Amino acid sequence: MNPSEAMNKSAGSARSIAQRYGLAVASIAVAFGLASALAQFHIPQTFGAFALSAIAVTFWYAGTKPGVLAALLSSVVRDFLFDPQTSTQSRLLFDLVFLVFALLMTQVLRHRNQLELRVAERTAELTQLNENLKREIAKHNQVEAELRLSEAYLAEAQRLSHTGSWAWSPPPGDIRYWSEECFRVQGFDPKGGQPRFDEFLQSVHPDDQARVAEVIQRAVREKEEFEFDYRIIHPGGEIRDARSFGHPILGPSGDLVEYVGTIIDVTERRQAEKERERLREAQADLAHVSRMTAMGELTASLAHEVNQPITAAVNGASTCVRWLTREDPDLGEAREAALGVIRNAKRAADIINRIRSISKKGETKRQLADVNELILEMIALLRSEAKRYSVSVRTELNAQLPKVMADSVQVQQVLMNLIMNAIDAMKDVDRERELTIRSQWADNRMLMISVGDTGVGLPPQQADRIFDAFFTTKLHGIGMGLRISRSIVESHGGRLWAADNSPHGASFHFTLAAPVEVGA
Amino acid sequence: MSCHKESKLVAIVDDDDSVRGTLQELLRSAGLPSQGFDSAEAFLGSGRQQETACLITDIRMPGMSGLELQARLNAERCKIPTIFITAHGDEEMRFQALRAGAVEFLPKPFDDEVLIESVRAALDR
Repeated sequence: MNPSEAMNKSAGSARSIAQRYGLAVASIAVAFGLASALAQFHIPQTFGAFALSAIAVTFWYAGTKPGVLAALLSSVVRDFLFDPQTSTQSRLLFDLVFLVFALLMTQVLRHRNQLELRVAERTAELTQLNENLKREIAKHNQVEAELRLSEAYLAEAQRLSHTGSWAWSPPPGDIRYWSEECFRVQGFDPKGGQPRFDEFLQSVHPDDQARVAEVIQRAVREKEEFEFDYRIIHPGGEIRDARSFGHPILGPSGDLVEYVGTIIDVTERRQAEKERERLREAQADLAHVSRMTAMGELTASLAHEVNQPITAAVNGASTCVRWLTREDPDLGEAREAALGVIRNAKRAADIINRIRSISKKGETKRQLADVNELILEMIALLRSEAKRYSVSVRTELNAQLPKVMADSVQVQQVLMNLIMNAIDAMKDVDRERELTIRSQWADNRMLMISVGDTGVGLPPQQADRIFDAFFTTKLHGIGMGLRISRSIVESHGGRLWAADNSPHGASFHFTLAAPVEVGA
Repeated sequence: MSCHKESKLVAIVDDDDSVRGTLQELLRSAGLPSQGFDSAEAFLGSGRQQETACLITDIRMPGMSGLELQARLNAERCKIPTIFITAHGDEEMRFQALRAGAVEFLPKPFDDEVLIESVRAALDR
C-alpha cells in the first residue's frame, strides 16, 4: 500500500466515524425538533417517543457507541432543553427508560451482528463449495480431454502398427472390447457393432478355424497365454496374414476373469520377409556361381595340390612294399613308410575336403571362426597357383585376435578372390612377386585382414570402379568377384576397400566385427 | 667347366617336402643313397652338380624351373642324366625335356620300378 492510499483509507474511516456520531447528534436533533414543533400544537410529551426512535435508528445504522451517545444526548436534551422544570423522579425515570432501551438495543445489535456473521460464514462456505465444484468440473473436463487425446493417439498407433486390441470373457461371456483397428484387421464393418466370438471365428480362414479354436480352448482350460498365426478372409475375398496374442486376467481367487490381447496384421511383414529370403537366396546363388567360376580357374593348380600328397603316398607305399619283399624284410622301415602313407593320404583328403567345403552350396551359416585359420587354409589351397606364377607368399598374422562370428566359406571366398586377383596382378611383372597377407586389429572392435601384392597396381583413374559389377581388367573375367566380395564383407558388418601398395602393386583390406566380449 | 662323374650321387630337386622325402626313402629302400634340394637354386649353390650321377627334378617350382635348371646345366657343359617328375606335364614340355637330354619324363605319381630302373640305368652309364 502506498502512502496516499493509506491516507485515503484513514481519511475514509475518519469520515465514517464522523458520519456515525453525526447520525447520533442529528437523529436526536430531529427528535427534539419534531417534539418542539408538536408542542406548539399542544401535543405534549412526544420527545420520549421520538428520542427512542432516534436512539434505535442510531444503534441500527451507526453502531453501539453512537447509539449510547444518542441515549446520553436524549437524557441531556430532555433534562436541560426540553423539560427543565420536570421533577427529579420523572427525570430519573426517563433516564432509566433511555438506559434500558440502550441496553436492549445493544442486545439487539449483538444478535443482529451474530446473525450477520453466521450468514457471512455460511455464504463463504457455500462460495468455497462452489469454487471446489467448479475446479472439480474443470479438472474432470481436462482429464476427459486428455483421455480423448490419448485414445486418439492410441488409435493412431494401432492403425500405424496394424495392431488391434481386444478383451474377451470366455463362455458364458463374450467379446467385451474390440478396438477400431481390430475391425479393420479382421475385416469387420464397425457399423455392425462389437462382434461376437463366433463371428470372429467365422472370419478366420476355414483351414485355420479348427486350430485357432483348439489353441484358444486349451489356453482357457489351462488359464494360460495364447499366441497363434492365422489367415483372415476379408469380405472382398482378400486373404490376410494375422497373429493374435492373448493374456489371461485372473481374479483374486485365481479364477479366469477375461483375456486381453492383440490382433496384428502381419501380411506386409511376411511379404517383406519372403522378399528378403529370396534376395538372400539369390545372393547366395550368385556367390556360389562366383566361387565355382574361381574354382574352375584353379582346376590345374588344385589338381596339382592334390597330386602332391598322393604322389608322396604312392612313394611311401612302394617303399613299404620294397622293405617287406626284400630277402630279409625290415618291418621297422616298412612301418615308418606305411605311417608316411597315412599322413600323406590324410593330407590329400584334407585338401579335397577344403575344396569340397568351398564348392558346396548351402545356406549361409554364421559361427565363431578363427580368421588366421581361414587365411592359412586358403593359402594351402592356393599355394600351387602361387607357385605356378612364381609368387612367394608371406603372412603376418596376429595370433592374439579373437574369433569372429562369420560364415567361413564366404570369408574364404573373399580371401580366395583377393589372393587370386593379387596373383593375377603379378603374373606379368618382372620384379619380385610377393603376396603378403596380414591379420591385425583395425580398432578395438574390428579386425582387419589385408592382402597386398607387388603387381601392376590399381587401374589408374578407375580405382573406384573396381567394385562395380561387371567391371574387369581381365581377359576372361566376368567382373563379379570384388562386387560379391564387398557384399559378403558388408553383410558381415565390415568394409572392403582398395589402396595403392608402396612402392608397387595394390593392397585390399577388409574388416570384420569382433564379437562383443561376454563377461569381460 | 665340365662334370666328373666319379661318385654315384643321386640328387633330388623338389620344393614339396613330402614328395622329396618319400622319394629319398624309396631310393634308400632300393639301396640308392640320395640328397634332396628344395629348389634348383639350392642345388646349383651346393656345388655338388659335378659329382651328381643322376638328377631327379620337379618341373614347376618357385624360382627356377626344372627345365631352366636343365638348360643351365647344359650351358655349363654339365650333362647330368636327368629324370623329370611333374604333376602337369604336357607333350610339348615332355618333348622339350627329352630333346635337351632327359632320360625320363614321369608324371606324378609314378611307378617305382620305372623310376628305379631309370636311376640305375643312369648310374651305370
